Amino acid sequence: MTTPSQSPVPARTPAPARVPVLDVRNLRVEYGGDGRAVVGADDVSFTIGAGEVFGLAGESGCGKSTVANALMRLLKPPARITAGTVTFKGCDVLAMDPRELRAFRWREIAMVFQSAMNSLNPVLTIGEQIGDIFTTHERMRKRQARARSGELLELVGIDPARLKSYPHQLSGGMRQRVVIAMAVALKPALLIMDEPTTALDVVVQQEIMAQIGDLQRELGFSVLFITHDMSLMVELSHRMGVMYGGRLVELAPAKELFADPLHPYTQALMNAFPPLTGPRVHLTGLADLPRTGTSCGFHAHCPDDRSDCSMNIPDLREVAAGRFVARTSGGAR
Amino acid sequence: MTDRATTTTRTPLMSVRGLTKDFRTGGLFSRDRHRALNAVDLDIPHGRIVALVGESGSGKSTLARCLARLEQPTSGQLLLDGRDVLRTQRRGASRAYRGTVQMVFQDPFGSLNPVHRVEHFLRRALLVHGRPAGEDELRELIATVGLSEDMLQSYPHELSGGQRQRVAIARALAVDPRLVLADEPTSMLDVSVRIGILNLMRRLRDEHGISMLYITHDLASARYVADTTQVLFAGELVEGGDSLALMDRPAHPYTRLLLSAVPDPERESGYDPVERAALRAAVLTPESCPYEDEGTCSRTEPVRHVIGEDEGQPHWVRCHLYAPATPTARRVLTAATPEAENA
Ligand SMILES: Nc1ncnc2c1ncn2[C@@H]1O[C@H](COP(=O)(O)OP(=O)(O)OP(=O)(O)O)[C@@H](O)[C@H]1O
Ligand SMILES: Nc1ncnc2c1ncn2[C@@H]1O[C@H](COP(=O)(O)OP(=O)(O)OP(=O)(O)O)[C@@H](O)[C@H]1O
Ligand code: SF4
Ligand code: SF4
Ligand SMILES: [Mg+2]
Ligand SMILES: [Mg+2]
Repeated sequence: MTTPSQSPVPARTPAPARVPVLDVRNLRVEYGGDGRAVVGADDVSFTIGAGEVFGLAGESGCGKSTVANALMRLLKPPARITAGTVTFKGCDVLAMDPRELRAFRWREIAMVFQSAMNSLNPVLTIGEQIGDIFTTHERMRKRQARARSGELLELVGIDPARLKSYPHQLSGGMRQRVVIAMAVALKPALLIMDEPTTALDVVVQQEIMAQIGDLQRELGFSVLFITHDMSLMVELSHRMGVMYGGRLVELAPAKELFADPLHPYTQALMNAFPPLTGPRVHLTGLADLPRTGTSCGFHAHCPDDRSDCSMNIPDLREVAAGRFVARTSGGAR
Repeated sequence: MTDRATTTTRTPLMSVRGLTKDFRTGGLFSRDRHRALNAVDLDIPHGRIVALVGESGSGKSTLARCLARLEQPTSGQLLLDGRDVLRTQRRGASRAYRGTVQMVFQDPFGSLNPVHRVEHFLRRALLVHGRPAGEDELRELIATVGLSEDMLQSYPHELSGGQRQRVAIARALAVDPRLVLADEPTSMLDVSVRIGILNLMRRLRDEHGISMLYITHDLASARYVADTTQVLFAGELVEGGDSLALMDRPAHPYTRLLLSAVPDPERESGYDPVERAALRAAVLTPESCPYEDEGTCSRTEPVRHVIGEDEGQPHWVRCHLYAPATPTARRVLTAATPEAENA
């Protein structure tokens, strides 16, 4: 029998220090101009502490990837950051010039993209692709790069002999692990993972998440974890934010948010996942109400008295220590 | 609504017996074979939803494709109303069979031709099976899947993923099938619309008495919609029973592995890694299965043992641990479940 190499998921590690590694304030991203702009992210603010796993949840199109790409300065036209600040270890990320950006990306913040496992170059071996990172960024010799690449593969539980394999010779789960290994190659302080396991089946997903937990403890980086799977997110994150229509509607420690969701949208989102225990209940999931100029789209789930909140999603307000909800002062629970 | 109590005593709508499917691996003249399904026995009763769960590559789609007769099984029987269609319709499915058994696929985007309106897909499906295709029929069909009438005039690209999957389901329903094979119908959809599709499946069962085979690797959704759940591992069914009972008391190491992988915020700490590694090992290498210590497993194939009954459904498992005869098994079982000691 093999000895277990996995340890429990990172959510149970002691709460990390509250020194923010990343500080995002009032971030606004617009797609397109000429008055007909689509707002991808609107007034988004959050911090991520050293060694902290911060989750960002919400349905498709709510702006999760937009936020992630903005932090990495990877947005391309027609996308524009029109307001807000992004501060990383005290540096103003939005003010960096191209040279500074090159030194910052991958070294300080690395990202595993949505469906990244299909992004490996099909005509290069795994070894060549990982080795490239070390030869270009660290100016390593080929042989040394190969040795480091092997170590890196071992770190994510893949036999270093696989350095000679081409991507198509690996399973989807293995390819995803390779991509994660490449992202942590330069020991970044923050790892962004955009839906890292959505395309994989449950067993492989669990194994990969456990591995990320191990890596995170070993290397000590912070994580911005993006998914629409609330169960997975609550299990893995220390704190989390829920986005809807480009705005954060709730921000809280993951356990508290799960136990007692305050915003109607968070409640509806959690209602979209059937439970594994207890009696069979009927779930309604998310209402199909569109967001319009006069309603934030969640009327069906709202408290009776919403006299002053129905025009748009209000700003976040702190309602208890560390708990923020998009609710106006009048909107009692 | 179907009378649940009597359905079990009737001949099942569809029964699969000893279904085996080999694929050729390698070149056209290669003699190498990969066994994707091995001796699968499965019943789909009238007006019930049966979930088929298992990890990627376990053979779920292959089984569905065999049932839809898109794939020719290597051996075994496919009994519709007790009659073996593989013998009576050797060359392929009859029109009547295709009208009885319909398949819904994972990808709602690929399965609808973008140049046609929704109306076209539904009308064609009705006509192909010789059914009237007037305005009334179309309206009824679109309402059944919870879409509004004006969507008949929409093109696929104007619909959301969930709406498109509803159109695909409406198209399957056009031929008035008795069995719908749904291969991961929600896995490519956004969370915001998944529950809606699952609720639609429940409604089709309850109000129209349609039977379904629901293929998924999302165990929580299987528990939500399916009356019974069958677990497929490497081409073989290893456990089956009432969905709630099976997930409350999983017996086979593989079922437990699958369940332990489901993220569960209620769990106090991450699933015990030692236990997980043991389950993994049990499943991958029977010689080292930590749940037995006499080496019986590697020598003989386990057979089905019924270990309980819930809602009229037998809960069965194929694992030597549950063969009442072996002393090892009894010891392991009593150690694993505290209640069993009092029994
Ligand atoms: N290049 C673009 N041009 C115009 N609008 C865009 C562009 N990219 C994204 N958007 C819009 O911005 C909003 C947010 O998109 P984003 O990709 O951030 O969502 P997401 O939360 O990552 O969704 P998913 O879960 O589907 O990945 C959406 O309404 C989308 O239509
Ligand atoms: N046409 C084929 N030729 C050769 N092998 C095949 C063919 N179709 C399937 N297989 C093999 O049969 C096995 C079962 O595949 P199947 O698609 O049924 O799995 P699945 O359970 O549906 O997986 P997933 O969850 O990834 O859809 C796999 O090992 C697959 O590689
Ligand atoms: S902002 Fe007002 S209308 Fe929107 S969800 Fe909250 S209470 Fe409801
Ligand atoms: S039959 Fe034997 S090897 Fe297979 S799961 Fe049961 S105890 Fe383990
Ligand atoms: Mg995205
Ligand atoms: Mg499949």
